Amino acid sequence: MNKLKEIFGGDTRQFGMIFALVFLIVLFQVLTDGLTLDPGNVINIFQGNSYILVMAIGMVLVIIAGHIDLSVGSVAAFAGIVVAIAMRDWGIPWFVGILLGLVIGALVGAWQGFWVAFIGIPAFIVTLAGMLIFRGANQWVGKSNTVPVDESFQTIGAGYLPEVGPKTGYNNLTILIGLLLCAALIGGAVRNRRNQARIGADVGPASVMWIRLGLITVAILAVAMLMASGRRGTSLPISALILGALVLLYGFISTRTIIGRHVYAVGGNRHAAELSGVRSKRVNFLVMMNMSILASLAGMMFVARSNASGPFDGVGWELDAIAAVFIGGAAVTGGVGTVVGAVIGGLVMAVLNNGLQLLGVGADMTQIIKGLVLLAAVAFDVYNKSQGRRSITGLLTQNFGRRATQDTTETVKQES
Amino acid sequence: MVDAAPILEMTAITKTFPGVKALDNVTLTVRRGDVHAICGENGAGKSTLMKVLSGVHPHGTYDGTIRFNGADVTFNNIRDSEHAGIVIIHQELALIPELSIAENIFLGNEETKNGVIDWVRTNNRARELLARVGLVEDPETPIKNIGVGKQQLVEIAKALAKDVQLLILDEPTAALNEDDSRHLLDLIRGLQGKGITSIMISHKLNEIEAIADAITIIRDGQTVETLDVREGAVDEDRIIRGMVGRSLESRFPDHTPEIGEVMFEVKDWTVAHPQVPDRLVAKQSSFFVRRGEIVGFAGLMGSGRTELMRSIFGHSYGTWLGGEMTLNGKKVDLRNVPAAIDAGIGYLTEDRKSLGLNLLDDIKTTTVSAKLKKIAHNFVIDRRAEHSAADDYRKALRTKTPNVDYGVAKLSGGNQQKVVLAKWLFTDPDLLILDEPTRGIDVGAKFEIYGIIQRLANEGKGVIVVSSELPELLGLSDRIYTISEGRITGVLDKGHADQESLMRLMTKTSTTPTPKDAA
Amino acid sequence: MRSLTKVMAASAVAALALTGCGRADEETPTDTAGGGASGAAEAFPKDALIGVSLPQKTSENWVLAENLFKDDLAKAGFKADVQFANGGVGEQQNQIQSMVTKGAKVIVIGAIDGAQLGTQVKAAKDAGATVIAYDRLIKNTDAVDYYVAYDNFKVGELQGNALLEGMAAKKPQGPYNIELFAGSPDDANAQVFFDGAMSVLKPKIDDGTLKVTSNQTAFNQAVTQGWKAENAQKRMDTLLSASYASATLDGVLSPNDTLARAIITSVKAAGKPVPVVTGQDSEVESVKSIMAGEQYSTINKDTRNLVKATLEMVAALQKGEKPTVTDDKSYDNGVKVVPANLLEPLIVTKANAKEAYANDPTLSKVTG
Repeated sequence: MNKLKEIFGGDTRQFGMIFALVFLIVLFQVLTDGLTLDPGNVINIFQGNSYILVMAIGMVLVIIAGHIDLSVGSVAAFAGIVVAIAMRDWGIPWFVGILLGLVIGALVGAWQGFWVAFIGIPAFIVTLAGMLIFRGANQWVGKSNTVPVDESFQTIGAGYLPEVGPKTGYNNLTILIGLLLCAALIGGAVRNRRNQARIGADVGPASVMWIRLGLITVAILAVAMLMASGRRGTSLPISALILGALVLLYGFISTRTIIGRHVYAVGGNRHAAELSGVRSKRVNFLVMMNMSILASLAGMMFVARSNASGPFDGVGWELDAIAAVFIGGAAVTGGVGTVVGAVIGGLVMAVLNNGLQLLGVGADMTQIIKGLVLLAAVAFDVYNKSQGRRSITGLLTQNFGRRATQDTTETVKQES
Repeated sequence: MVDAAPILEMTAITKTFPGVKALDNVTLTVRRGDVHAICGENGAGKSTLMKVLSGVHPHGTYDGTIRFNGADVTFNNIRDSEHAGIVIIHQELALIPELSIAENIFLGNEETKNGVIDWVRTNNRARELLARVGLVEDPETPIKNIGVGKQQLVEIAKALAKDVQLLILDEPTAALNEDDSRHLLDLIRGLQGKGITSIMISHKLNEIEAIADAITIIRDGQTVETLDVREGAVDEDRIIRGMVGRSLESRFPDHTPEIGEVMFEVKDWTVAHPQVPDRLVAKQSSFFVRRGEIVGFAGLMGSGRTELMRSIFGHSYGTWLGGEMTLNGKKVDLRNVPAAIDAGIGYLTEDRKSLGLNLLDDIKTTTVSAKLKKIAHNFVIDRRAEHSAADDYRKALRTKTPNVDYGVAKLSGGNQQKVVLAKWLFTDPDLLILDEPTRGIDVGAKFEIYGIIQRLANEGKGVIVVSSELPELLGLSDRIYTISEGRITGVLDKGHADQESLMRLMTKTSTTPTPKDAA
Repeated sequence: MRSLTKVMAASAVAALALTGCGRADEETPTDTAGGGASGAAEAFPKDALIGVSLPQKTSENWVLAENLFKDDLAKAGFKADVQFANGGVGEQQNQIQSMVTKGAKVIVIGAIDGAQLGTQVKAAKDAGATVIAYDRLIKNTDAVDYYVAYDNFKVGELQGNALLEGMAAKKPQGPYNIELFAGSPDDANAQVFFDGAMSVLKPKIDDGTLKVTSNQTAFNQAVTQGWKAENAQKRMDTLLSASYASATLDGVLSPNDTLARAIITSVKAAGKPVPVVTGQDSEVESVKSIMAGEQYSTINKDTRNLVKATLEMVAALQKGEKPTVTDDKSYDNGVKVVPANLLEPLIVTKANAKEAYANDPTLSKVTG
């Protein structure tokens, strides 16, 4: 047990979301007689949720900066319909379509960011307006019709990695990506440890790191193997690949770059950040703009998966993305949260949803259960913080993020 | 007035937070009718003790007994303790800005008739209570329209409305200017005459010396001693010795200034209030700082001293209307904070928690936060450089912390201030503006910060110190400017300045002063 | 570096052990079950899983369908997985995927938006399942095998005729003032209903017998987003205040009962006499309204018959027989012409309600 504590860096009660995720997977694996970890199902979970998770990545940054974005579903739908129509009517190729979608996202984001950052209207209001504006714009542009997209575009939402190389019984590219990811993680951890040791930081026993890495590696390879062993023609979904790339990119941006620091600073204490030379308006603008770009991407991924853009695309997505972020350990007051946490939070919801569907639990009960899980996850986190412990998700993702010191409340009060 | 039986006896109080023993076997006895001061460094446990007493930490979460008016009491919340006649007034006032004085006084304690608020009675009683605390204001005035000093009096009126027997004041004068502080202390004395016992927590030792009948000193969660003033005078040095466990020979370290040429100069600086464009918060202010010089700025609250400094620091306050700035012989136009930082100006804010720190951050991220460029390559932060920079400053400033990954919220006020100082030192400033650098900091840390300030000056930097505490300015500065109503009213050299001469210049006005309208 | 490779190797082995080895179905099955209208279907076990994915639970009919599917599939010996997608298209997509994962042999889909399920239907097809579009056609994919529905163009025609008859009965001579309502634009049937009705009404509008006072005669002007009563009610409120301050409203074309009742509510709230309002779906409240003389007509598309026809199709597929198809020309989904089994709808007014609902346990009470 002590070893376990060391590996996960804390109290056994704080294993948190990753354990919730593992627990759910095991639970459903048993309840569904092995269907949960069926290759096809693992692929489905990623394919059917990556657009939500892409938005959760943008949303966690918005929430860290102390805002909220309610318009993401409508923005996604708007970008989706414009791209679908542009490709149908102007015959532009798929990659120009994607580019167009991202530009639309940037313009929409600039519009919302302008009101939030430079005029100072709360994001809740701006994006509530945006929710109406862009839903209407979607239905106006599309005349409330469903507009199909052609096959080349469908890849980003419904496509898979191709089969290359020798026939191994697995999808070779998928396995390769899994191995590369593991190698990168191990290499990174080793280098990081060396650096930490060089500056004299406490690095803990090596065995702990290796076991931790071993577990992560096994998890990654297991997922890769599963995806690679699905029905011929399926493999790592392109949408999951996009998601993975974005997680790495935004994980890096949020923890390792100046702009990432500034997002946390503005959310943690805007005035202090400004007086430390952070241009908070620019940060707010960029965060809102980035959210809309990612929402557009998510919208296009959904259109690709659905083969068509419809007038009700994206309804309710904002709530899924926001739920993922809060399950992932972000704070309503801003300043706290991690990209990886948000994605894990989203996966918890996705696995839950999938498992309940496999069990044939009705949509009504599914919603009730999801609501309770959201409440329980956040309540557990709040309880842990009030007990002076670290936020569970902050703890679990500390290797990826930088928020490991949030047990502040009681000690602050203690001072006179 | 003097009753043999003590009004309050707290015996063997022990309170533990996860991982910390905040109070360890503390005993406090307060005589009826006394003003009883509690002294101790930040984090010593003073506030925790008062929270135990007032039921914020409910009965059962601590060990020990409380006897009040001769009977054992168990409070489960603030309502219980208020019911018994114990009222606590926190440092951060608990008033609702949008509600009127009368509404605030009776908040949670409304004057009702059949469940409906009786406004006539509410306002009449409020008027009586305001008279008792010596505040001349219409009870229907919204709280936001009166100054901090008057708000403090409203808090006391609120306590009186609850038939208070034991009044606890946590740092009551921390946010008040000299006049208001004096008035407040007089009032506490007056209440004493009417049979109300007070417990006062304060860092201002001169106030304690002036008003307390008894002083209990707490250090590291334990009672050090209780000094009875009636048995013999207690001076500041005696209290300090108790608080820090050693005596401080000189509160201001020795310092021989080596003053060089003028390195920073401001001419005719004029700034308007951000919301009220025709109200000037700085009026054609001109001053200069020489290399190696510590320049003090003295002014009452609302005199415009903070506003002037923030405006100089990249126009971060108000609307700039005119004026020139010369830094190191070159005219500069610094219109935003990043430009000011790049030019070599640092500004340590007056309000540490709301303007100076992100309490979610740890020490290392705070230390580097004002100049991330310095440890980044192509916008990517070098975490090794970050860690070692933070560690260097931790050692240099002797910040008390296990490591630099520690959250700033967990540090004491003095150590937090050192981290903020480190943040500004990390930017390599030529000119460092320190606004109330020792506010809310205990004596030991104050001494260390004075030392740091002098070291900076010795390194040839220009230092501006803004402070409400005149002894601090007199002890530290080589030259002192005075500000009143947004205008610089004078400048005195170290040798020529004393409290009286400064006060005269600080109150020199063209009209009647209205001191408490700080933004 | 040595330990690094060791760990990697160990992890790879562990992962392999975890997942079992390689693809189970290296060869894609070439002869999938139910390979289209002409292809000979292959039998599957009598206790196979049948998936039924229904849209949002918005009307009584869908709830009834859910119960019928559950009960009757079970009665026939199949394992039934019947799900509603209250969360929207994304949820329905995931549900269909789950059914594929569970190995459903036939998946019956009442689509929320028939144009947005291509990927999932293809996955179903690839996994060897037969896809039946129930009530709403699935578009832009060749992976849909059959379509079972009431003849929706016919529904529209019947509604148009009923509107004309109802108004003639009240006021023998025209011209009549009418307003037009259509269903939700994301439901492929909405357009068909409207077109059917307009095939009857358009000539009368052109010859001046009918007058659409608001001039809103195009489908996209008449639509009701999401089939939501509140949207229809709001639009009716607006129309009344804009166009019927003095004019009398004689009739309203309403595509279904829920909207019909919303329209009647709006008219009553405005203090106007209730016009002739059509409907569809035979909802209990509307049948009551018809018996009370408010709503004029509804359409009986008995859900029982539709479910029955679907189940007959499933049974035929199970035996490897060719299911009944009544129309293999009309339903082009954009990629292929989907063989359809169309059922005849029945118009119901106060006059024939009793006999129309004689076999319906709930409605016979209302009409009796």
